[in-house]
Amino acid sequence: MNGTGMNDTGAQRGWRQTMAWAHGWLGLIAGWILFTMFLTGTSAYFRPEITRWMQPEIHAQAASPTQAANSAIRYLSRVGPDDLQWYIYLPDERTVATRVFRAPAKPDPRHRKAELDLDPVSGTPLTARETRGGEQFYRFHFQLQLPHPWGRWLAGLCAMAMLGAIISGVITHKRIFADFFTLRWNKGQRSWLDAHNVSAVLGLPYHAMITYTGLITLITMYMPWPVLMNYAKPAQFMQTAYGTPADVSASGVRQPLVAIAPLIRDAERRLGGPATRVIIQHPGDAAARIAIAQAKRGAISSRTPVATYDGATGRFVSRSGDPAVAINTAGVMLGLHLATFAGIALRWAYFVMGLTGAAMVGTGLLLWTAKRRKPGAAPFFGLKLAERLNIAVIAAFPAGMAAYLLANRLIPAAMEGRADMEVSAMFWTWGLLALVQLGLPARRAWTALFGIAAAFWAAIPVANALTTSRWLVPSLLDGDRLFVAFDLSCLAIGIGFAVAARVSARPAPKTPGRSRRSMEPAHA
Amino acid sequence: MLLKPRHRDDKGKAQVASGQTIDGQAGRRWRGGIAMAWRWITAILGGYGFTVAAAMLSARILPAPDASARIEATGWPMLLSFLLYAGIGLWALHEVRLGRISMVIWGGALVMAILLKLLGVRA
Repeated sequence: MNGTGMNDTGAQRGWRQTMAWAHGWLGLIAGWILFTMFLTGTSAYFRPEITRWMQPEIHAQAASPTQAANSAIRYLSRVGPDDLQWYIYLPDERTVATRVFRAPAKPDPRHRKAELDLDPVSGTPLTARETRGGEQFYRFHFQLQLPHPWGRWLAGLCAMAMLGAIISGVITHKRIFADFFTLRWNKGQRSWLDAHNVSAVLGLPYHAMITYTGLITLITMYMPWPVLMNYAKPAQFMQTAYGTPADVSASGVRQPLVAIAPLIRDAERRLGGPATRVIIQHPGDAAARIAIAQAKRGAISSRTPVATYDGATGRFVSRSGDPAVAINTAGVMLGLHLATFAGIALRWAYFVMGLTGAAMVGTGLLLWTAKRRKPGAAPFFGLKLAERLNIAVIAAFPAGMAAYLLANRLIPAAMEGRADMEVSAMFWTWGLLALVQLGLPARRAWTALFGIAAAFWAAIPVANALTTSRWLVPSLLDGDRLFVAFDLSCLAIGIGFAVAARVSARPAPKTPGRSRRSMEPAHA
Repeated sequence: MLLKPRHRDDKGKAQVASGQTIDGQAGRRWRGGIAMAWRWITAILGGYGFTVAAAMLSARILPAPDASARIEATGWPMLLSFLLYAGIGLWALHEVRLGRISMVIWGGALVMAILLKLLGVRA
């Protein structure tokens, strides 16, 4: 090789400059999607809590894993004795319902909804308003509301752009320490650069971690190829890697399942923690298999050990062994991303870090336009487009998220098809606001949309008070911390947008334009 | 090819380095645009192909005397592949000479693919 690019081009055209250029374009093109991914992903740290808020009819009822598994199996044996498989997700301190999922032998096209929430005590289906709950933001975070598999590929591509932007951003940046302490308010482009640097530098370990581990969550989709070189049958890799026993086939001989309670107690003893998930293969058949998984307390890894039993006799079959280091590493990365191991304080810390991620992407997008705007000159088409997309994403998308939560309270609880209507409310609000803003000059559009977002978020606790009995005051009196925290968070977000609206309404500061002071070659 | 003087892509270089559009006649701008598109296609698609081939090749040639070593040999290239992808992609945006980028990335992927074909699945 004839020297590196650095030697070729000299210090002035070295990595720092090319990476500044790459950083600017990677950030711009992926930035709009990344901003929505950051916001929805951040909300997903509270996925079960959002679901609980969105089904206010359901009140928490404590039930032990044994009790919940028992009642769920009683229900499932009644409705689906010939199913291929049942998945039972047992309630824990964050969820109040037993979630069951059936894989019927003959899928019934009329009965599309195979997933169901059960009362953990009685085992009867919970009757609550139909909603996708926290699942909606969580799914959007990596599927972007696009058909499978395109949403996941696009999200993966954006995550790669993010990884590239982080690496190139760090290379570009020479004064990483000084920028901890540098924030010059109200200086136009300079302030956006400072804000971008502060949010990026403070959150750097989190941003790098969350981006890389995010790619790992879908690694079997993005990078399954090495498996093909080492295993003639790719399924064999998963089997040996995770120690899952090979699938059994049904014998055709009917035999009822053994009582689940002793098995759960046995599994909890063997695995050393409460059972979280029960998977039953061929229930009601002599060859039935019961797998019981446990969440490791105090362990980051989201890989859960599993004990397997013979369903007809209750005989212990096997327990998943200690996996290979690479598999453990993947489990820890997955756990770090999902943060299911985190207690309430750490989960709030994750939430705040997620918001700094959104702030970093948002300020980066604003910086791109601030840098190209010349005082007195008409903006070129690309600049106008970027600015309008910035408004559509940074101001209008959060309003859409608020609309989803508002719709949950405003659409009558018994209405047919209301879950889909809630989702429609989110996207219609987002789309309409993104179009309406085109009728206003850019600066006014910022103010107007921030104002609308503020009103929507602040309206959520009000709508909650008007339509349910679980508004702020009763929740405070009941000590219902979840509902109190939810209302107050919405209010806080609303106030945040109100401040943004006020700030954006102020007359423009005297921008130094392309400043004479030598700007570090940061960001194209 | 590798040793060729770099004046051929100098216009691309100006563009890469400063992000400015090229001035000059429409024809030059056109060629600059195609060169830029090819650079990004090579970085994104070529970089992915290169990474896939490299991950498959390292999975195949890492020693795997037993079942658990085989899992490690398969798992680590998967886990680390995204770093390689980011690295090779950024290099494609950094290096001025498009010919060299194309040679390394597309050529490298092809050579590794041939090796993979010759090696076959591990017995």
